[in-house]
Amino acid sequence: MGQSTFKKNLVRVMAVQVVTLLLLYYLQYIFTP
Amino acid sequence: MHPLNWVIIIGWLSYVVYHGISRSKGTKELEGYFLANRSLPWWAVGLSVMATQLSAVTMIGTTGQGATDGMRFVQFYFGLPLAMVILGVTLVPFLHRAKVYTAYEYLERRFNPQTRSLTAFLFLVSRAMSCGTIISAPAVVFSAIFGWNLWWCVALIGVPAIIYSMIGGVQAVTWVDVKQMFLIVGALIAVVITLLVKIPASPHDMFVTAGQAGRLRVYDFSFSLTNTYTFWSGLIGGTFLMLSYFGTDQSQVQRYLSAKSVDEARSSLLISAYWKIPLQALVLLVGVLVFVFYQYHRAPLLYNPAHERMVQAADPETYAQMRTLYDTSHVLIQREAIRAQALQMAARITGEPSNDVNYIIPRFVIDELPIGLAGIFIAAVIAAAMNAISGELTSLSTASVIDFYRRWVRADAPDAHLLIVSRSATVFWGLFACVVARYAVGLGSLITVVNRFGSFFYGSILGVFLLAMIKRANGAGAFVGLIAGMVAVGAVNFGAPKVSFLWHNVIGAVVVVVVGLAISAVTKPSNPVAPARQPA
Repeated sequence: MGQSTFKKNLVRVMAVQVVTLLLLYYLQYIFTP
Repeated sequence: MHPLNWVIIIGWLSYVVYHGISRSKGTKELEGYFLANRSLPWWAVGLSVMATQLSAVTMIGTTGQGATDGMRFVQFYFGLPLAMVILGVTLVPFLHRAKVYTAYEYLERRFNPQTRSLTAFLFLVSRAMSCGTIISAPAVVFSAIFGWNLWWCVALIGVPAIIYSMIGGVQAVTWVDVKQMFLIVGALIAVVITLLVKIPASPHDMFVTAGQAGRLRVYDFSFSLTNTYTFWSGLIGGTFLMLSYFGTDQSQVQRYLSAKSVDEARSSLLISAYWKIPLQALVLLVGVLVFVFYQYHRAPLLYNPAHERMVQAADPETYAQMRTLYDTSHVLIQREAIRAQALQMAARITGEPSNDVNYIIPRFVIDELPIGLAGIFIAAVIAAAMNAISGELTSLSTASVIDFYRRWVRADAPDAHLLIVSRSATVFWGLFACVVARYAVGLGSLITVVNRFGSFFYGSILGVFLLAMIKRANGAGAFVGLIAGMVAVGAVNFGAPKVSFLWHNVIGAVVVVVVGLAISAVTKPSNPVAPARQPA
């Protein structure tokens, strides 16, 4: 895994996490008074 | 419990023992037994990595935490994806290409035998203890729920895992992990679906109920060294914890050393990077939905049935009054206050800690789930415990044999002899864990206990591996740095006990690197082998 593969994986993993975290934030924001 | 549930549980236990033994082919040599001949596909290794980390504590403790405290525990894992990607370009290629059996073996090549032995010893101590608490968590709960002797419950979980780990080594453990991961995730999804069906409200209303009670509050952006569950503790402290755990703990390192190649080892870690947070959110969601379920159905006042019986027998009148008040109250704060009183009463009468978080989900499963599904969920709890224990038993056995027996006692022993010693070591550590499990009952919140054992050493051991990648560092620096790191963590733990254990990992790693480099600068290079470089 070279530098470019690392960056690609980093971007993919972070993208999935950002979507998950945004979903959790949405749940909190919508339903928590 | 209905006999069909027992048939499912016994059937599953028999199947995994049979499956594990049937997967023991090719384990007649040391590399086959400890590393599956470095032949396992990335997806099996990846699922095994996740399975080893997911224990019965997750199934009953974390779900219980979801019911009482909501989703905020998920912040604990925010550093994990980043840690996995970092490990993919740092320690994984180093260790895999070094063709070692244990992570600590590499430290001797890089530094000296003392550093290797000390890190391996710390691993043995912390893992053996945590292995006991991992068995203890479900055993204590089963004992209270089914009214069995604690020893029987410990044996139900420990013995099958010891048998297939001892016979089949890492290969058996990995393939059993794969099967059991499907059972665990399937059981969690089935429980979520059942809850959605059984709660007499729309999903929107369920979330409103959970949200109003604060159970959907995930994020806490405050910066606090004393609070474990904040965004920053999870991201910074969590990254260091996960780097230490997945990068230097033999129970995890051994998993990816068994992968076919460096690329497959890296890919296996990425499965956790992608799926750990969603899986943890699912686990907590089960707890949150159980909380919502009990807003619409009659909830137990005390979830530990053994305590409930004792309290009812000791003071039936007061208990009945509390019960009536609890049932007729519809204000959450009032209900929680009544439950807190009942818990205090239980602690006074039983003389035991009253915290019953770990009993919420098992009680719900036994009382409310349909026949068959209850059996599947309990089998999944046992499966989770066995996954964690079996991975740890093989790693304890590997470190004992490779880092101590073969290194210091019989360097020239043939594989056949070492295999006998390895199998004996697996059984020894299994029995040791069972004894610890029996007496770990009084240690308090089990989740915290498991993590605390590790946090005393994890950060410092990570610091040593970080030093290994710095050219200037030498053996004296690594050894003194390691001791300084542990002393620093000990000082923080006793001097400032409020600092969250997540930060211990950061403190340990930083102190080891700083002290290690300082000592290396004033001492001669003592390294007999080449300095840290990516082995060819």
